[in-house]
Amino acid sequence: MPTLTIGVLALQGGFEEHINHLRKAAATAYPSPSPYQFNFIQVRTPSQLESSKGLILPGGESTTISLVAAESGLLEPLRDFVKHRRNPVWGTCAGAILLADEANATSTKKGGQALIGGLSVRVHRNHFGRQVESFIADLDLPFLSSSPSAEAQQPEAEVETAAAASSSSPSTPSPFQAVFIRAPIVEAILPIASESTEGGAESGASPLPVRPPVETLAVLPGRKHRAGFSRPSESDAPDAIGDIVAVRQGNVFATSFHPELTDDVRIHVWWLREVVRAVEAAADEGVGGEKTRGPVPVTSV
Amino acid sequence: MTNESAAQNGNAADDKQIPSFAVKAGLAQMLKGGVIMDVTNAEQARIAEEAGACAVMALERVPADIRRDGGVARMSDPAIIREIQEAVTIPVMAKARIGHFVECQILESLGIDYIDESEVLTPADRTYHVEKHGFKAPFVCGCRNLGEALRRVAEGAAMLRTKGEAGTGDVVEAVTHVKQVRADIARAQAVLASEGEVGIRALARELEVDASLLKRVAEEGRLPVVNFAAGGVATPADAALMMQLGCDGVFVGSGIFKSGDPAKRAKAIVRATTHFRDAAVLAEVSTGLGEAMVGINCDSMRPEEKMAGRGW
Repeated sequence: MPTLTIGVLALQGGFEEHINHLRKAAATAYPSPSPYQFNFIQVRTPSQLESSKGLILPGGESTTISLVAAESGLLEPLRDFVKHRRNPVWGTCAGAILLADEANATSTKKGGQALIGGLSVRVHRNHFGRQVESFIADLDLPFLSSSPSAEAQQPEAEVETAAAASSSSPSTPSPFQAVFIRAPIVEAILPIASESTEGGAESGASPLPVRPPVETLAVLPGRKHRAGFSRPSESDAPDAIGDIVAVRQGNVFATSFHPELTDDVRIHVWWLREVVRAVEAAADEGVGGEKTRGPVPVTSV
Repeated sequence: MTNESAAQNGNAADDKQIPSFAVKAGLAQMLKGGVIMDVTNAEQARIAEEAGACAVMALERVPADIRRDGGVARMSDPAIIREIQEAVTIPVMAKARIGHFVECQILESLGIDYIDESEVLTPADRTYHVEKHGFKAPFVCGCRNLGEALRRVAEGAAMLRTKGEAGTGDVVEAVTHVKQVRADIARAQAVLASEGEVGIRALARELEVDASLLKRVAEEGRLPVVNFAAGGVATPADAALMMQLGCDGVFVGSGIFKSGDPAKRAKAIVRATTHFRDAAVLAEVSTGLGEAMVGINCDSMRPEEKMAGRGW
């Protein structure tokens, strides 16, 4: 059985909760006999990152994670992992901030903070205010209903398993209890063209692949007018839309909230399937003689 | 068991929306693997944030100075707290006296992210800790053993820390407290396994804690909320020691800004807390840190000099 190693960045924050949820998600999405031996690891070093085929960047303090990543020689390997090799990554809360190309300067620490980037958005940190403004809200997540086009790409044997796992209503999933803790939001989606001209540290490296468009996967309606905090929202999202709290752009997925703090593993199940799909697609590409990106993702034991 | 009503706490449940316990405890989960540093002004807060602190504790005086000065130690001047809140983007905590629920109300109104009901300040109530459920702001409290830990959780604490012995730079009491909590948990597990619920009820009476909370701890083999080390952590090795003993993160009080090179030491303790099992990294970050705080040997202290004895 091939081993599939998936990492959770463990520099600071709620990484254990993600690992626990991934274990439960694996048991749900790929029940015995599973096609893979899943190996969920804490990532603190470049070699641990190198062995991972997908990565979760957990919640925590984005300033802390960024500074410790830099000190641990992980910032550039992380950028390579996300932007060049385009492995599947998921950032929650602080992790979402780190994956953004830009953070609203009024919300970042003085002097700014280093980001990993990869997601063509601008985030606003601590959007809803301090901890006393943290909250739980029911969120509609239509992407959790099994998407037919995606399932169709799976080998037939696996469709059954997947269908059995998502036995809850296939069309409209029940709302997700989303936990927002000093949460950021996506305040603007940036033009895709801008990042291909990205210079600085990237200059000299091979050009970045062109990114697909940013998909908005979830919005929190009307919250900014209900919240009783003093700090005004700087989100440029139209009032009718609400605050953007989940997005995806190709290999990069980000949520403002913390699914790992609930008992609900649906988003972890969804993401784990996305990782498996990406790994299998990359393996096919390698076999087909296309240019290979890094090592062949699936290794036998 | 304390049984003060919300009204007695001055927290009549009016229109105020209390975030759920999951939201309060959730912030503590996001602080895990991090270092929370005592700071007394905006400049120190910025040094802490630049060093990678995951939160700061806003204080008028660090515990070493509180200990030296004597007298009554109280909540900080709100001006200091506001100055620190303005300076940094990371969570800002502040201390209130044990049982002083009005200091807690004031801190909550300032938008403090976590209130530390702390034995480092002079207690304001001989019988009751603050009834914490009625506050929007979450609370962290100190503990020396499982009994204290679960009494605080029953009162509404969403995060715990060892008491250690603040302001000494001597880690021995923090080690004692975390090992005591571990030993108590192991005992609860053994009792549950051998005697079941009846045994748990008897142990709950002995520890003076809620039996259902104790049973949960015995089943899960861990405290119900995040537990940080505090009270005497002064070096990267101290921080890594507490992490290897099973703490979720570290508070550093006087250890940083009473040392020779606070910025360097702060950064070193942050890295040591992340890479707490990597001895090569620990050796690297322990190198050339300059003078550590002078410190006080806890064994040379008289019992009445110790802060950890405050609270129950």
